[in-house]
Amino acid sequence: MAINRKPIVAVAAAAVVSVSLAACGGGSTSGDGGGSSKEASKGGTLYYLTRTSAEHMDPQRMYVGRDLSNMNRLVYRGLTTFPITDDPDAKFSVVPDLATDTGTASDGGKTWEFTIRDDAKWEDGKPVTCEDFKYGISRTFATDVITGGPNYILSYLDVPVAPSGLPEYNGPYKGDHQEDYDKAVTCDGAKLTLHFRNAWPDFNYAAASLRSFDPYREDKDQGEKSNYQIFSNGPYKLEGKWDATQGGTFVRNDQYTESSDESDSRQANPDKIVYTQGLENEVIYDRIIADSGDDAYAITDRRVPPAYYTQVTGEVADRSSLVDSPYVSYLLPNFNQMKNLKVRQALYMATDVVASTTALGGDKAGTPAKSIVAPNIIGYAENPNFTAPPEGDPEAAKALLEDSGEKLPYPIKFTYAGGTPTLDKQAAALAEGWKKAGFKVTLDPLTDTYYTIIQKPSNDADVVWGGWGADWPSIATVIPPLFDSRINLTENSNGQDYGNYKSDTVNKMIDEAAQIADVDEQAAKYTEIDDQLGKDVAYIPLELTKFYFVRGSKVTNYINNPMTSGFPDLGAIGVEN
Amino acid sequence: MTVPVTELESHVTAPPGEEPDDSGVQKVAGRSPTQLALARFRKDKLSMAAFCVVALYVATALVAPILVKTGVLDPLTLHQDLLDVNMGGIPKGSFGGISADHWLGVEPGTGRDVLSRLVYGITWSLFIALSATFVAMGIGTVLGIISGFSGGFTDSVIGRAIDLTLSFPSTMMLLALSGVAVAFMTGTLQVPAGDVANALYVILVLGFFGWPGIARIVRGQVLSIREREFVDAARLLGASRGRLYFKEILPNLWAPLLVYFTLMMPAFISAEAALSYLQVGVKPPTPTLGNILTDSINYSVADFVFFFTPAFLIMIIVVSFNLLGDGLRDALDPKTHR
Repeated sequence: MAINRKPIVAVAAAAVVSVSLAACGGGSTSGDGGGSSKEASKGGTLYYLTRTSAEHMDPQRMYVGRDLSNMNRLVYRGLTTFPITDDPDAKFSVVPDLATDTGTASDGGKTWEFTIRDDAKWEDGKPVTCEDFKYGISRTFATDVITGGPNYILSYLDVPVAPSGLPEYNGPYKGDHQEDYDKAVTCDGAKLTLHFRNAWPDFNYAAASLRSFDPYREDKDQGEKSNYQIFSNGPYKLEGKWDATQGGTFVRNDQYTESSDESDSRQANPDKIVYTQGLENEVIYDRIIADSGDDAYAITDRRVPPAYYTQVTGEVADRSSLVDSPYVSYLLPNFNQMKNLKVRQALYMATDVVASTTALGGDKAGTPAKSIVAPNIIGYAENPNFTAPPEGDPEAAKALLEDSGEKLPYPIKFTYAGGTPTLDKQAAALAEGWKKAGFKVTLDPLTDTYYTIIQKPSNDADVVWGGWGADWPSIATVIPPLFDSRINLTENSNGQDYGNYKSDTVNKMIDEAAQIADVDEQAAKYTEIDDQLGKDVAYIPLELTKFYFVRGSKVTNYINNPMTSGFPDLGAIGVEN
Repeated sequence: MTVPVTELESHVTAPPGEEPDDSGVQKVAGRSPTQLALARFRKDKLSMAAFCVVALYVATALVAPILVKTGVLDPLTLHQDLLDVNMGGIPKGSFGGISADHWLGVEPGTGRDVLSRLVYGITWSLFIALSATFVAMGIGTVLGIISGFSGGFTDSVIGRAIDLTLSFPSTMMLLALSGVAVAFMTGTLQVPAGDVANALYVILVLGFFGWPGIARIVRGQVLSIREREFVDAARLLGASRGRLYFKEILPNLWAPLLVYFTLMMPAFISAEAALSYLQVGVKPPTPTLGNILTDSINYSVADFVFFFTPAFLIMIIVVSFNLLGDGLRDALDPKTHR
């Protein structure tokens, strides 16, 4: 579900990572774009401060970008991973992790083969085997127990589907139709083979981004009770238990050997990493800016609140970083309500993205987006239909609205995820723009119930807000999940298609794209679909979210870039001793 | 607190309408207790100042919607050209962007006029606090009279109801039920959705949980009043319960009720602000003192004027009401000395 839980990934050329990032320059006044000047050293304790508690620590159930990349660096190794890079504009690439290479595709991208390393171990000293992978992947099929993760991958594996739409195989706990699964995922010694229904040319990127294809030890699996259990095969392990609200402490895993990990993605600098969850953003930044005691060794994944920007000057600015996040926010016209294309076009023309972004905090909070796809995604192109100036064109909008044949002022209800003054101000700023063009706007802020309400097909809002980041760096993880009406629209829910958009043309194009085995050709096809979405005004892009973070002064080798969804890279960061 | 005998008698003996209110202050002889109280109140400079502030507050609240309609005040228009987009959208210039056009500066992020928003916020604040106070006092007075007058079983039942209400975790209830209750009001009861329904919810809940205090005070008063001769006389003449409650007893309660009213108002003004902070009540973009305050607390460093103004305004209003209440009590009950 939208903005709090989509990872994106990106990566860099293979040469990356030989620790010395001294060349990356000190902080500038406006943040240094994700690299810190101090060299990493081993040892010490790193403090990780955050607000939202992780809902799941089970690899197959995680879906928040932050957790997917953090846990990959610390405890959950996958088939492949993304390397560390200090270049914020680095192109995505994957490197082998628990597999010996980045996988071999055959049969037009429908079959993937990996060979599992023989020297990697779990925290109890037992080796990580192909069977562990096979078991881990099977867990996603237990949709009654393994909830919260990217369940759609069920439909990617070549397992027969029951009339209900779900696979007949129902996971390792019940084990019905186990033979179906055994055909789709096979182990031959250390050789793991996966069979997919359609071409999945960039599967190795998905395996690096998501934790769904990570191994899991069958003898450690307690189903629902394993939600917060962390059984590591990475450089750290959990000390004691994970507290669902507070967090936990990671210490070194003595069974992990550097020689078993050639991914160069885990420098594992601190001896200890202490998580503290449940802190308000203001509290986090009061502490990090004050930089006293343990807070000098602290990092966070929360953005600086706009009211604190004035405090990020001088010495504090040297500790800041400002990078593009993988998240784009956008508006969705509700196609059940706003059926007139001209009205939707008028709404787009009247949308003042500059005012909206200013309300969110200005140019450190985001930049106007030109597509629902983030620029660092493979297949990104500016959508040719969104050519209005970012501050909107109320005159042109008014002309379109008058031309639409509807009665003016045209009443619209804007339902948005409110609950903070900043979001309320953003909505007010958008409303002012729309009013100028002849819309009569009712604002409807919702808090906890937001997604529940807008996912109801009967929802009477005319416009809703949404945010999305790709699951892995492919445009294929943006457009079908958001706009394929067949996977989204049911009787009781519109899935992620909050605008109830339904287009046979787009659905057909999505099917065509799924058959293409070449990554670039497939991306080009999706760009065409994006164009069609723009023509229909299926969405109105708002801003590409920026990540503006400050860290403690004793944090070294600070890196955050698309490789870790824009979040601090725990594989690289260390602390001064 | 006991109501002085002189006061009670004057009310019993002087039927409504014949009160010598128009007799003028200059006459030395024959001043009614009301006039005496007023004279005492006028001598108290602090109370008079508080009264003036309260009067100004009420006047502002009444005029604000007209000023907004006529465009003198504009709480919604954006002025983002006055903001510094590099610094999180705080106003350009010192003191929160104070200028000839914006006497109290502009709001960070949007550039909306702070003065207009505060003035318009006062209207909602007064409307909610006043309505909630009436609800609480209405319930509290009626139940207090019945409880004190009837005694016995009825008294026990009402007494337990008071205990129950006081021990109820009202804040939790307010938060937990807000969504459901507002949906019920707009759906089943056909209350117009939006500000009205949200305000109504706060009024009803604050009112419902505010009555026990007043019921206890009224009951205590009634216990002594019901023993007085004029009540016995009315009863002997065959007066109905309703007449006894509202014609014989109620007029003797106005002094404590008035004092309690002035103490309850500020409590509800603060409560509205606190509830806004917890996302219950009138929602943005409609400004209320509460939701302006909610936003301002983050700006203690970045924009001190914006941080300080709403909190200061709420403080002035609450303190004025409290001083007014104290002054009234002193004036109406000269036996109490501080």
